[in-house]
Amino acid sequence: MQHRTWHRLGLTLAAVAVLFAVAQAQEPYRVGLSAALTGRGAETYAPVSEAIRLYVARLNARGGIHGHPVELLVEDNVAEPSRAAAHAKKFVSQDGVLLMLNASLSSTYPPMIHEAKRAGVPLFFAGSVCPREVYPPADPLLFCSTAFAARYDSEFALDFIKETAAGPVKLALVSMSIPISRGEVDYAEQLAPSRGIEPVSNQSIPPPTPNYAPFAAKIKAAGATWVYAWAPWVTQVKTFEALRQLGWQGKFLAYAHINAEEELARLQDEHFYVFGANAFFSHNLPVHQEILQAAAQGTMHPPTQLAEGWVAGMVLEAVLAGVSWPPTPAKVLAAMNRVRVDTRGLRGGPLEWTPTNHFRTTHYYRVYRWDRRQQGAVLAKDWTAVAIK
Amino acid sequence: MAYASGYFKTSYGAELALVETRLQWAALAALGLGLGLFPLLASPFALDLANQVLLAVIGAVALMLLTGYAGQISLGHAGLLAAGAFTTGILAEEAGAPFWLTVPASGAVGAVLGLVFGLPSLRLKGLYLAVSTLALHFIVAFLGSEYETRHGFSTGILLDSPRLGPVVLDDARLWYGLLLAVAAAVFLFSRNLLRTRTGRAWIALRDRDVVAAALGIPVAAAKLSAFVVSSVLTALAGCLFAYYRGFVSIEAFSLFTTIEYVAMLIIGGLGSLLGAVLGAVFVVTFPYLIDLAVDLLPVPARLSTYVFAVKYAAFGLIMLLFLLLEPEGLLGIWRRVRDYFVLWPFRYRPLAGRS
Amino acid sequence: MQLVVNTLVLAATYALIACGYVLVYRVSRVLNLAHGELMMLGGYLLLTTASLFAGRPLLAVAVALLLSLGLGLLVYVVLMRHFTGESVLAAVLVTIALGILLRGLAILLWTAQLQYPLVALGWQNPALSLGGGAVISAAGLLTLAAVAVVYGGLLLFLRYTPWGIRMRAAGENPLLAAQRGVALPQVLALAWGLATLSGGLAGMLLACDSGIDGTAVIVGLKAFPVALVGGLDSLSGALVGALLVAAAEVLAIAYLDPLVSDVVPFFVLLAMLLLRPWGLFGRREAFERV
Repeated sequence: MQHRTWHRLGLTLAAVAVLFAVAQAQEPYRVGLSAALTGRGAETYAPVSEAIRLYVARLNARGGIHGHPVELLVEDNVAEPSRAAAHAKKFVSQDGVLLMLNASLSSTYPPMIHEAKRAGVPLFFAGSVCPREVYPPADPLLFCSTAFAARYDSEFALDFIKETAAGPVKLALVSMSIPISRGEVDYAEQLAPSRGIEPVSNQSIPPPTPNYAPFAAKIKAAGATWVYAWAPWVTQVKTFEALRQLGWQGKFLAYAHINAEEELARLQDEHFYVFGANAFFSHNLPVHQEILQAAAQGTMHPPTQLAEGWVAGMVLEAVLAGVSWPPTPAKVLAAMNRVRVDTRGLRGGPLEWTPTNHFRTTHYYRVYRWDRRQQGAVLAKDWTAVAIK
Repeated sequence: MAYASGYFKTSYGAELALVETRLQWAALAALGLGLGLFPLLASPFALDLANQVLLAVIGAVALMLLTGYAGQISLGHAGLLAAGAFTTGILAEEAGAPFWLTVPASGAVGAVLGLVFGLPSLRLKGLYLAVSTLALHFIVAFLGSEYETRHGFSTGILLDSPRLGPVVLDDARLWYGLLLAVAAAVFLFSRNLLRTRTGRAWIALRDRDVVAAALGIPVAAAKLSAFVVSSVLTALAGCLFAYYRGFVSIEAFSLFTTIEYVAMLIIGGLGSLLGAVLGAVFVVTFPYLIDLAVDLLPVPARLSTYVFAVKYAAFGLIMLLFLLLEPEGLLGIWRRVRDYFVLWPFRYRPLAGRS
Repeated sequence: MQLVVNTLVLAATYALIACGYVLVYRVSRVLNLAHGELMMLGGYLLLTTASLFAGRPLLAVAVALLLSLGLGLLVYVVLMRHFTGESVLAAVLVTIALGILLRGLAILLWTAQLQYPLVALGWQNPALSLGGGAVISAAGLLTLAAVAVVYGGLLLFLRYTPWGIRMRAAGENPLLAAQRGVALPQVLALAWGLATLSGGLAGMLLACDSGIDGTAVIVGLKAFPVALVGGLDSLSGALVGALLVAAAEVLAIAYLDPLVSDVVPFFVLLAMLLLRPWGLFGRREAFERV
């Protein structure tokens, strides 16, 4: 009898241990994402959020990280600071996330930064504009994997224009009248003379504009031969189309937002250049196939717009892979400070963060344009490495 | 607002008392106890939500004074909140001004703006007045955005937690205490103001301005005073908002903010301070309640993008249904519930067709 | 010359949108703040019909226009009908709530992406030369034509047809009109239908010119000061107001800072409110002197 009791107890203990182990294995790495899924900016940020979600789902289907799944909590901040603040508070103090992600307009940064600092939880800008604080010397808690990068973008763009244009350049600059876009374009205007480029016009266009012709007319009248735009896609492309309507023959360089690939095919204009850091799907890399497969699971977004979020997903995986169980925000932070992600061709090279550089040590740009003969997007300039110091 | 079963006042003091019966005292005490215990029991998220509600209460009461009592429609509310926040942000950033200086400064800016943008009310009424106050919003937004861009704060000005003597206000519970005290003070101030000559002049003005003028009420002064008082309180709310959130950014004060405040008044019930409070609670917590409700439903992950659009649409839909089915606002519901208990076991049925 | 063309096209866009505000306000004294959303839906409806009736673009446009008209009628019958006699502020808030609902639905049905009905219709938007170096886009020219047709049609309709006269009577004095046998609900429904139809048309033209996404709503709201400058209850006022605001805006972009263009309509409005608070052609009801 006694023997059997011991036996039972042993079995029970073993069962408890197994259950405990299972429970532990099911305990997730928890991260919180606050994104603009509806409202302003949703056209850019909803696909990013969707791609991160697809990436995490695929990761979990393959067994997660160190045997633990990744739990991605997504909240829609409607690009409103108050919502972002409330969500950040919830993530940090209630859900106990290891890391917060932001994919939204710059108006949601300050409240999230505020909460991140208060709680000592790292904040990762995934698909939203990189704030200056992630450049060296970086803020200890802020990180960014987004393709676009204030300052470096304009420096590269001006170099590209200088190099592509044979003779002297009369440059018009276009921004949307939101602080972040205006600041960047004003920077480019100051920088242009040092590259031997003459800025002739700087147009800051209010976001709700029914007709871009008046702005375009001014650019044309200023005699611009090149236009450089660094703004949300709407402003860039509508200004360009209005310019063409007016019979302007010059060349236009715009930032390649997530829908650039489809838009080049729609515009079919050989002198419309887009520059950015993500490889187009026309290269058909193995990683592009993976994205297409993941998108086939069902999503309302065109798969070509998912690359940006996919990169963020890769970074997230690489970071968590460097965090041993049980995870803490401090461990995640340590992992982020030494992460190196193979982007598998989606970017020009690996994405690397160091304790002083939370942007990347080397940034790669590519320029595309439409080619009539090939009826497709072609490279106007292949990967160009820019060292970030 | 008779709660007592009859008129038993035996002194002028009793006539002036805000609280009439012992039951009311008990109810108030219970409310005070509940509000006092709340921060000890609530989760951090709920506490943050409560603080948002309290901030909204200050703004909503201010707007209620102007629109609900003085009858002047204003769409410049977000502009005034922004003016308060930016006064605070600029003073703190440029001059390192402390809390006790930025608060009155914000109030002063609010007073000046209220005076200037109250001027059109001397000639305009209704919709036309509303639109002229809209100009205030756009002017403040333009100036704020210029300041942010010119000074390189492309993502907004960050503010340090304010200091009240030796106490640094960086804890949500401390903020709860401060905001509760301010909101209660604003409520009491408004309640009493409405019983004074000024407040009664406003109400007369709202009901019929010609009669008000005939009664000897200085209409111009009364209108301007309503704008000034409301604007000062609103700018203060903006200042507190800036400190509580720890940042100032013009993008936090969109036209949608104004619409939210107008919605608070109408959903709460126009012409009642309690309505303003109820409306503020409802409008602030409502999106989060929808989040909660939808999250309880089992939704496959691949439909998650649709869920957010559904939540967005649900906000509009429920607001519509609410306005359709309960045009008197939350206050109407509140009155019905109260009457039910006051009259119990008897029933009170209003005559067919509302008054 | 180009300046004049730009002004005219912008004015036409504003006028076409403002027409809807005026129609609804004139008969019911309700400010329809969901007009921007209804306009946006016009563009989206065209997107859907264009892919439904691929290869038959004219049919697609006609069906989209009919749907827009129906949408307006529906809004009145389902919603606004219940707010006859309620406070105007509550009715305005209802339109705001409707706007939020429609924006959510639009994301649900058509996503937040920038989309191009023109591509789906298989049409082009070429630039047409007007001589003197000035050009106009085909969509711009169409907008001008649409304004001529819509305003001409409405003015004739209001002046000479029985329904038009009933609509004017309802706007003048609803009580008397009702007592003389004007069926107010039908008149109001018609006003909402026509307002949404003209707004939807504006949305379609806008979508053809520069694509459709959620920002169309803000464009719709920008036309609101236009309606006010002209006087909210006057159609011809809206036309003149549109011209005035558009001219001020284009001139501000050309000779001042383009940043100012966003606030220019409001400055025109403020100036108007100081000089003629009832608008250019409006009635004096909203005006008083203390």
